[in-house]
Amino acid sequence: MSLWVDKYRPTTLAKLDYHKEQANQLKNLVQCGDFPHLLVYGPSGAGKKTRIMCLLRELYGAGVEKLRIEHQSITAPSKKKIEINTIASNYHLEVNPSDAGNSDRVVIQELIKTVAQSQQIQSSTQREFKVVLLTEVDRLTKDAQHALRRTMEKYTATCRLILCCNSTSKVISPIRSRCLAVRVPLPSVEEVCNVLSSVCRKEGLLLPGELAKQIAEKSGRNLRKALLMCEACRVQQYPFSADQDIPETDWEVYLRETAHAIVSQQSPQRLLEVRARLYELLTHCIPPEIIIKGLVTELLSNCDGHLKPEVAQLAAHYEHRLQLGSKAIYHLEAFVAKFMAIYKKFMEDGLDGFMF
Amino acid sequence: MDEYEEMYGIEDDFERQFADELEVMAEMDFDPTPFTKVSQLRNKQPVPQSFEEAISVGDQLLNRPAGTGKRQELHSDVTSRVSPLRQDDEESLTPKAKKRKQDVAKRLQFSQMHEGDDITPPSSPEVYERLENRRTEVSMPLSPNTLPVSAVPSVLDISGLAALQQSPRSVTTTTCHVLKRPPATGDYISVTDSQGNRVYLSKKEEEDKAPDPRAFRNSQNALGLLAVPIEVLKEQVAERRHRQVVEESQRLTELLNSGIDPELLAEEEPEGGEDNDDDDEGRSSRLWVDRFSPKHYTELLSDDFTNRCLLKWLKLWDTVVFGRERKPRAPAPEVRPSGQNAQNQNQAQRFKTKSQITEEILEAELDQYKRPKYKVALLSGPPGLGKTTLAYVIAKHAGYNVVEINASDDRSAELFQKRIDTATQMKSVLGANERPNCLIIDEIDGAPTAAINILLATINRKDSREEAESGANTLKKKKKKESVLLRPIICICNDLYVPALRPLRQQAFLLAFPPTQPSRLSQRLAEISRLQGMKADTGTLMALCEKTDNDIRACINTLQFLHGRGQKQLDQRTVSSMTVGLKDQNKGLFSVWQEIFQLPRLKRKRIGADPYIGLVEAGLKEGAQRLQNILHLASSNGEHEKVSQGLYDNFLSMKMKDPNMSAVCSGLDWLCFSDLLNECVMHGQNYSLMRYLPFLPAAFHFLYASNSVPRINYPNSQYEALTRTQHTKNAMVAMLAEIPPAVRCRVSLHTLCLDMLSLLLELICPKLRPVNPQLYSTREKQQLCDLIDTMINYNLTYRQDRTPEGQYIYVLEPNVEDVVRFTGLPPRRQLTYQAKQLIARETELERMRRTERALQKRNTHKTEEVKEEKVETQKKEVKKMTTKNHQQRLENIVKQTTVESKPELDFFGRAIIPKEKPAVTTTTGDESKVGGALQIGKAVGNSDVWFRFNEGVSNAVRRNVYIRELL
Repeated sequence: MSLWVDKYRPTTLAKLDYHKEQANQLKNLVQCGDFPHLLVYGPSGAGKKTRIMCLLRELYGAGVEKLRIEHQSITAPSKKKIEINTIASNYHLEVNPSDAGNSDRVVIQELIKTVAQSQQIQSSTQREFKVVLLTEVDRLTKDAQHALRRTMEKYTATCRLILCCNSTSKVISPIRSRCLAVRVPLPSVEEVCNVLSSVCRKEGLLLPGELAKQIAEKSGRNLRKALLMCEACRVQQYPFSADQDIPETDWEVYLRETAHAIVSQQSPQRLLEVRARLYELLTHCIPPEIIIKGLVTELLSNCDGHLKPEVAQLAAHYEHRLQLGSKAIYHLEAFVAKFMAIYKKFMEDGLDGFMF
Repeated sequence: MDEYEEMYGIEDDFERQFADELEVMAEMDFDPTPFTKVSQLRNKQPVPQSFEEAISVGDQLLNRPAGTGKRQELHSDVTSRVSPLRQDDEESLTPKAKKRKQDVAKRLQFSQMHEGDDITPPSSPEVYERLENRRTEVSMPLSPNTLPVSAVPSVLDISGLAALQQSPRSVTTTTCHVLKRPPATGDYISVTDSQGNRVYLSKKEEEDKAPDPRAFRNSQNALGLLAVPIEVLKEQVAERRHRQVVEESQRLTELLNSGIDPELLAEEEPEGGEDNDDDDEGRSSRLWVDRFSPKHYTELLSDDFTNRCLLKWLKLWDTVVFGRERKPRAPAPEVRPSGQNAQNQNQAQRFKTKSQITEEILEAELDQYKRPKYKVALLSGPPGLGKTTLAYVIAKHAGYNVVEINASDDRSAELFQKRIDTATQMKSVLGANERPNCLIIDEIDGAPTAAINILLATINRKDSREEAESGANTLKKKKKKESVLLRPIICICNDLYVPALRPLRQQAFLLAFPPTQPSRLSQRLAEISRLQGMKADTGTLMALCEKTDNDIRACINTLQFLHGRGQKQLDQRTVSSMTVGLKDQNKGLFSVWQEIFQLPRLKRKRIGADPYIGLVEAGLKEGAQRLQNILHLASSNGEHEKVSQGLYDNFLSMKMKDPNMSAVCSGLDWLCFSDLLNECVMHGQNYSLMRYLPFLPAAFHFLYASNSVPRINYPNSQYEALTRTQHTKNAMVAMLAEIPPAVRCRVSLHTLCLDMLSLLLELICPKLRPVNPQLYSTREKQQLCDLIDTMINYNLTYRQDRTPEGQYIYVLEPNVEDVVRFTGLPPRRQLTYQAKQLIARETELERMRRTERALQKRNTHKTEEVKEEKVETQKKEVKKMTTKNHQQRLENIVKQTTVESKPELDFFGRAIIPKEKPAVTTTTGDESKVGGALQIGKAVGNSDVWFRFNEGVSNAVRRNVYIRELL
């Protein structure tokens, strides 16, 4: 547990650093005994998983922290074998069904059913239900989500589901209505700063306030990233100075450069270059929606105020299509081309206006 | 295309170059024709022809010096030989040859009288009577005519044909009767042994049964010598006369029949009528393609060069198949190269064109069996160019009997083998096809690989016996080579590049069919339509040719179809509106892309535009036509995925005027649309939407088509991206797989690649002083410790690797550095080689420590239990010890052996004393001196070193060593 992220992760609800009321509510939820299905959602790095683990500890005690990895193999009706890794304690089981790709429905049907059907043996000393933790539910196919609906209702006696995802928009409404939705928002900059300085204090380091703030801002309030950045800063240079440069993730740099390339020139040739860069990003496993989001933020900061609403609308349009289609590169490039066309027209009009 | 043009541009040149060669070829071309003719005639009337031929052959071969008088005699001999046969019937099979032979001269006339009835054996007495009557009368008026030249054959002819006219059933029996009557002929041979011609005749039947190369040579020699024209003349004369006679006889018989037997006539006439009807029906029902297919070499429509090459190749087999042409061919290559080599060298300085290479193949020396170097010819080309027809015509032309295997036959391996063997090693015995076989394997691109391998094995088969005695003389060899392939094989395929054909391609004489010239094709079409009474001008026919891509079969079929519908007039409009003649063209992907990105040439406009339509309308019409064209192209291709991928990869590099980038945007919108469609089709199984897919190419055509020739690259970007994504994913999955569960539950693949990995790599590159780690300060040591901890937690390590330049470097394992790094960004800071080495080593050590600790942890419970049970008197140091797997066994042994365990202890105890243990050994030693066996046993059991007596090699001495002691 050497990374700060892992080392100083709170393990109980009481020790959580921010969103304390929510932590209290969760605690009450556990104590009142009527524990519902949960749908925990929020942006990446907000502490969803930490909160869930704290909750589980609250439910079952320290036993949940004894984890083991299990390799499960499931045979689909089509005789296809699906291998999937699960992380389990005696009390819960964590699965990421989207690892199975298109056959995630089978995982849901087979794996979760078998777990849910088995009763807890010592129900007197323990809770009468197990918890199944499904991560990245928003990446589940619609089939798998529909398969989940009935399972959720049928096995309530023996099993509770905690679903974890980034956005509820891709979770079908029947599932949303069956769960208690818990939103875990990003911590504010101050909260991030507090966490950073407290961690540094525990490490015996002195973190200047400005640097902490810079890190918090640069990480986009993503606490995981902020901690990693802070530690990277520490590796690069200790004693900290307030204006030292903070290491960034490479793909963000690359994306920014791509946006600059789009703004600086608009031609089919440039589009071809941009295409190569988009491919590069995609091959590095950067999800297309993150690419489009990153591009839009960069482009918006570069273009005129008149254009902003139009560009934002375009981005929304193409991101929607992106979700519907299967070939991300077409949609990304279509967005870029459209932006180029608009931007070029705007610049030429502006130039004409300037001439006369 | 350029290649083709180049290739066929030099055709004229070619003709000049090889003028002499062509002459030889022309000779060759001419040479076999009489042969085939003869055989055709023979087919019609086997008996008399064989006689005639036999006679003439006999004449030239054996009785050259003999005068005409003698020849006359010969004729008579023959007749007499035949006549006794007939008389046998009369005289109830009591041949007296010698006697009859003397009567021959007298009988010449006489025999004619008897002939008819003799040859045709009476199937029933009535018929016999009738025939006899008729015959005598028929032959009477003819006799003056036929006598002077060669009376016998003609008369024989009459008899044969007259019989045929009257009752076909009896004819068959006739032929059989005469040919296969062994006692008569056999008898005769023995008598006339001295005469060469007789010997030959009698042997003929046997020859038919057993293929003997000599027979071929004989016949060939006879044909090949100067006597050929004479024979041809003779034949022609005989034929003409025979025809006259037949006609006359027919007339006469009819007259007679009308008088004698009206019933028979009534029976006969409908038969004849039926025959005619059959012919008519055949004419209407038979496909024109078959009816007008070329029967002769000169009628072939396919490219001359190809035809010639194939014929030449086939002629190379003559040496081994017919055993002739050895002499004329031997000097020929010597003469020709002298003229040709000079030319060749001139051109060889630049390049070798395809045709030259082909020529060279044909020039190549024959192999040891006198076969050509390439045993198989492989014709390839799109359907409808006349490949099969060419193979047939040329094989027939060169004097072969064609045996065909095609896709409709069973081509499983065993059957294929059988058929190849039958075709190449056997020969038809019965009937008239005594010519050698030529195997044509049609549609070989559909054959299974096993079958093709068998074909290859057949080609490469060698005579094992010959291999053994390589020094043996050639004459002997000839008889032995039974199993070697001695017949030509022609394979035909559409797609030369089928994987199964790959091995065959290297061993075959490849001939690619160029497209038929539209001018020649349209000329032939004009001929056909004229014959069928259709009116069609050349332009229309050219349009038809263009529409079908010069597919001969499609053209003729279309014509027939139109004819069948009653159209006697063919004009442009019918042709252009026809959809029947269109094949489902399967064009290559590149040509599809090219057509999409290129505006159609003006030539097409000429056909499309009618003069009376206005310019605007013409433009509209042209647009519509282009749309239709592209739609058809795209939908017939079928590979939408690939096509649209190609469009996507290439459209940005097209030349286009697009200042506002609107065309690019709409193109991309189209792509997005088709992606959504595809998604809908694939995931919703909504296949009715597939019909909209071809509109994407059409849209691209109108957006980006230009006049210049587009440069198109094969679209591999998608595939490349896919493989690279897979690669990065695999690296990350490998990394995640071994991460301990406590960390693993916090890290998912996406957080890893988005948030963590980049920074993590930053983290594991601290600044380390390049000194020995022993000299590190406590803080630095702590840092190193943390680093290694992180590395292990995230399943990272360094692995030594060797670069292609020979340098050793340490790379991360799993190599997530690739996952993070982007091309074009400044390279990240790297640790030095030494630092990496250090980290790698430390990581490894730490791993070992951890695993051992884990093991120990698992084992502690057991040791404690054991210790509680027995070890009370032992010193405290021993407690550290964990269980020894040997302990229990040793215990037993020690209990049994009460004595003499001391010396081994002493010996080894002194030899290898572990540092911590001296106290133990000494104490145990003392105790053993004092105490009993039990104590010794305990001591042994708890000692660090033990020994099993008599257990062989050096590892009989054992000691527990822990990793942690070594670290």
